[in-house]
Amino acid sequence: MSDKNNKIPFNEDNYTHNIERNNERKLDRRGFMKTLVGAAGVFAVSSLPWGAVAAKELMGLGEKEYPHKKITDVSKLPIGDAVEFKFPGDHDDAILIRLSDNKYVAYQNACTHLRCPVFWVKEQGEMICPCHHGKFDVETGAPTAGPPRRPLPEIQVKVENGAVYAVRVKRYEA
Amino acid sequence: MKKRLYLELENCIGCRSCLAACTQCGGHEERNRNYVYDVNPLVNRQTMPLMCLHCENPACARSCPAQAIQIHETGAVLSALVEKCIGCQNCTIACPYGIPKFDQEQNIMYKCDLCIDRTKDGIPPMCASVCPSNTLQWLTDEEIDNKKKQFNLDNGKWVTSMPYLEGETNVKVNLPGILQGITKLF
Repeated sequence: MSDKNNKIPFNEDNYTHNIERNNERKLDRRGFMKTLVGAAGVFAVSSLPWGAVAAKELMGLGEKEYPHKKITDVSKLPIGDAVEFKFPGDHDDAILIRLSDNKYVAYQNACTHLRCPVFWVKEQGEMICPCHHGKFDVETGAPTAGPPRRPLPEIQVKVENGAVYAVRVKRYEA
Repeated sequence: MKKRLYLELENCIGCRSCLAACTQCGGHEERNRNYVYDVNPLVNRQTMPLMCLHCENPACARSCPAQAIQIHETGAVLSALVEKCIGCQNCTIACPYGIPKFDQEQNIMYKCDLCIDRTKDGIPPMCASVCPSNTLQWLTDEEIDNKKKQFNLDNGKWVTSMPYLEGETNVKVNLPGILQGITKLF
């Protein structure tokens, strides 16, 4: 009876086979999968704020009207001239161009290619980015030449009491 | 103080209190996990309880492909971990005593875990705490040694799992004297 083999033939306490409860691995196969799924969940939850931002934009709350800002007096801006201003923030450069008596156009003047400042060339009737010779149509802000592929964001303006005011920034439509 | 379950099989009166008590243990979900056998059915009325012997080298745990059966630090071989058990029933085949039971509906094996919630804090398992005939006892090793001295053994052999049954077990069994050809003093 005592010649029975009562020995475990090899060490069974390893990562794929362990039956001692105290030696339970912290990160066994199951724990690894749990960690994987848990991390995916954390990433999913942490991306929810971006979803909220997107929803806010899609629901039209992005069409927000900034406090009206006086750009210049009508009398100080001859037809065909341009003036630079900041709108809506202090670091958002924009340009206002007077095309005729009553027609004013304004764009944020950061080139949509690499954000160089776009300026107005009166003689050629074009808006030009000096960095890579990008050109924009002054009527619509659409690119007409050069690297930029997207139009300049348009700023709505209104004339009141002999002064030009910036009202809001039109949403960029892709 | 480490205590062991000690089975004195001759005392069994077949009342099956241990089965009833087992259903009432916390976590056992009103199912009993042990057995009461008729030793010689149709010949005499001798019965004997049998619960998991909690082997040192448990065949059920070693045969489990998912390591769902774990060995507690007290030596108790636990019931299958619900989240690991895959219901393959290898353990029921491997166990030489036929202890593990199988729940077909939940596809889970369950077996005696020595009422681990109780015994890990030194409280006797439910079966031992209700046994009216002291068949099941919860004793220290020293008390088991004292038992040994009370027996008049004409062959000099003490047979609490002596030297072992199929293998070394944490539960000690005193086989009936009839089977050993010896006489007990009490």
